[in-house]
Amino acid sequence: MTVFEEMQKYYRQRDLAAREWKKNGAKVVGYFCDNVPEELIMAAGFFPLRLSGDPKGGMDVAKKNLLIRYSTREDFVHSMFNMLLTGKYDYLDYLVIPHAKDSIHRLYQLMVEMKQTNPAWKFPTFIFLDATHIPSFPAVSYDRDRMIEFKGKLEEWSGKKVTNEALSRAINITNESKMLLKKVAELRAAEPPRISGVEALQIIGSSMFMLKEEHNKLLKKYLEGAGNLPARDGARIFVDGSPLDNLQLYEVIESFKATVVADDNCWGNRYSDVPIDTVLPPMEAIVDRYNRKSPCPRMYPINRLVDYCRQSAVNAKAQAAICYVYENDGAETWLTREKVKALEEKGVSTVSFMNQPYLISNAEQLKTSIEKLIAPYKK
Amino acid sequence: MTQDAAGVRGVKQLESANMVRAHQREWFAENRKRVEQGEPFAICNGDDWEEGFNAMDIPVMCINYWHAIIGTKQMNPYYDKVLAEHGYPVTGFARAMASYMDKKPDVAPWGGYPKPAILIGGTKNDIEMKVLEYWARECECDFYPLDWCLDPVPEWAHPPPPLWWERMKEHWDEMIEPHRLAGRIEEEKALVNFIENRTNKRLTVPRLLRSLELLNEQMVYWGKARDLIAETVPCPVNARDQGGMYQAMWHRGSEKGRDLVKAYYEEVKYRVDKGTVACPNEQLRLSWSGDHAPIFETYIEEKYGAVIVAWAYFSYPIDSYYRRITYDNPMKTLAGHHMILFFQDPKLYLRDAKMAKCDGRIEVSMMPGVPSFTKPVFEQAGIPVCQLPRETLDAEVKSILDKFIGELLAKKGKHV
Repeated sequence: MTVFEEMQKYYRQRDLAAREWKKNGAKVVGYFCDNVPEELIMAAGFFPLRLSGDPKGGMDVAKKNLLIRYSTREDFVHSMFNMLLTGKYDYLDYLVIPHAKDSIHRLYQLMVEMKQTNPAWKFPTFIFLDATHIPSFPAVSYDRDRMIEFKGKLEEWSGKKVTNEALSRAINITNESKMLLKKVAELRAAEPPRISGVEALQIIGSSMFMLKEEHNKLLKKYLEGAGNLPARDGARIFVDGSPLDNLQLYEVIESFKATVVADDNCWGNRYSDVPIDTVLPPMEAIVDRYNRKSPCPRMYPINRLVDYCRQSAVNAKAQAAICYVYENDGAETWLTREKVKALEEKGVSTVSFMNQPYLISNAEQLKTSIEKLIAPYKK
Repeated sequence: MTQDAAGVRGVKQLESANMVRAHQREWFAENRKRVEQGEPFAICNGDDWEEGFNAMDIPVMCINYWHAIIGTKQMNPYYDKVLAEHGYPVTGFARAMASYMDKKPDVAPWGGYPKPAILIGGTKNDIEMKVLEYWARECECDFYPLDWCLDPVPEWAHPPPPLWWERMKEHWDEMIEPHRLAGRIEEEKALVNFIENRTNKRLTVPRLLRSLELLNEQMVYWGKARDLIAETVPCPVNARDQGGMYQAMWHRGSEKGRDLVKAYYEEVKYRVDKGTVACPNEQLRLSWSGDHAPIFETYIEEKYGAVIVAWAYFSYPIDSYYRRITYDNPMKTLAGHHMILFFQDPKLYLRDAKMAKCDGRIEVSMMPGVPSFTKPVFEQAGIPVCQLPRETLDAEVKSILDKFIGELLAKKGKHV
């Protein structure tokens, strides 16, 4: 098995590392989104696992149990919720639900009510991690207090204090991960690219399903062989839009002579592009990083989100871009207009696909539009 | 759209409700004059800061109110088209923005609203802040974002105690997560600073306190009217007029707002004393899930004597807006108004239905295939619930209503 195939294994079998970890009696803390400080979870001695969906896994159980006032009808969240309800995440001991987009935020109260009305539902112990969406000083202070409380909750779960040493160790590991993933980003955007978008999503994603230190070892080995990675030719594509916890879209794009050289996505480059400042005391450093990190679509203001998208595409020398937005992803739906404008002003031809299903069951129209988009750039 | 499919909301009967309707148009025209004379005009989402603007004597338009006007004039499809033509996603929350962008005073309701000086709003949901930012750009005015907003699902932050509606008046601050309330108080103080720096308007503590007191007075009158409507059989005021009166809520904390609702209460009392009824052949009393008089109100009244007596906003003013004032910290009371209003609790709707002696409930299904969260509660209490697929008066909806009401009448030993 090659090193890439090793990481790919963990991308495909997302519970593998966590279930292995549990065999020694250790515990797993699941979380949604990339706004939850995994460093705190690691420092508390837990395995942090980011939840993801399964486009082919169905969502009947989730939809049957939705309470209308808590649903925002985003199928990628329904998918994750379906997995929670059908025991696919039965190895989680704890679950952190952040104040992220509505569809995630509402899950917390939905689960509270489901537990109250039917104790037969088995959920891991779950908490809500509140956060603000406006980068002001009061908001930053508020978020800091919530993270300190979260640390306290982790200490309660683990039965021991989270020390500064443990925090520093966790920061070093995740900073190393970010540094290595930045090298992956560089290779994606190299001229010519050396890593495809499909490969990159698996490399990045697998880091969220494994112990980071183990992933770092694999990734270092992989990058040692970077010089031997084959060059890719064809169109250079930038992808923006809804969270991509699967390979469907990139497989379609790269089935043509094209490479997704960069993305604005919390499952892609955005996950790792801001490290933690180790000059600061560790807890402050973690709080600071999660306040400063590249913004998720829920954040204010629009300019900051659009600037990030535009700059990411320009830095990667993208020739064309695709904005791919799921049905009922309200935040991205409202951002796409500005993002398309910003990209096209920089000469990056952009096509947007709105109201897309989580499961791509009929790719023909997608393929036709993508083929037309990249035709001028295929070498 | 045929008249049948469009349906007819109830007849306007109340003088006080007509006063409110007339006042709103005059107020709007007055706002335009004030803006022409250089005064600021504000736009905010309902329950975001309108009391603050009222206390600062800055005319304010609430977004949800403007949307209700657009909806009543059946202009939703028109403004959806305007959004699409301007390259924006078609979203209900953005229609008020569309009515400004359209720049057609001869088309817009009441000639449209004047250029705002400031738009405020926040994080109630994923799209609100995005829309408001774009809106402020279209209007070329300030946008002031607010975190810690009224959450449509507030129970996540602070689970409501049982019978929370009985505790809201005096114990509202126990229903808000304290850190979030503290954050919002600071945010609102900063907002006052911002507005004062941008305009020549000032907020003083006495003015704020008086505004909060007027608000409570206004709600007490609403509560008295609500009680009379609930206990009087046949019902003295139809849902159309009750809904029309709700427009007075956009003047919370003002003398005008208080006087409008006082006039309403006095008229309701007069009608009750005189035995004046909304529907002479009242046979059934119904609870309704909507926040406006339903499109089928006249149909069910005329055909069956079925009267909507309790509806979504029946009790919110007295149960949710009336608040104990924290005189030692009035900004706390103001901020509290913007953090919790009510919990979507079927037990509250059931209480209202029982208070108003309802025979049944009609609601519109919010999402196909997803069960109603009120139906089990109502049916356990012996009040049947009818779910409509949509709020129209087409053949299918009529057939569902006919069947449901027929069954209710039969249960009472009455006939169609």
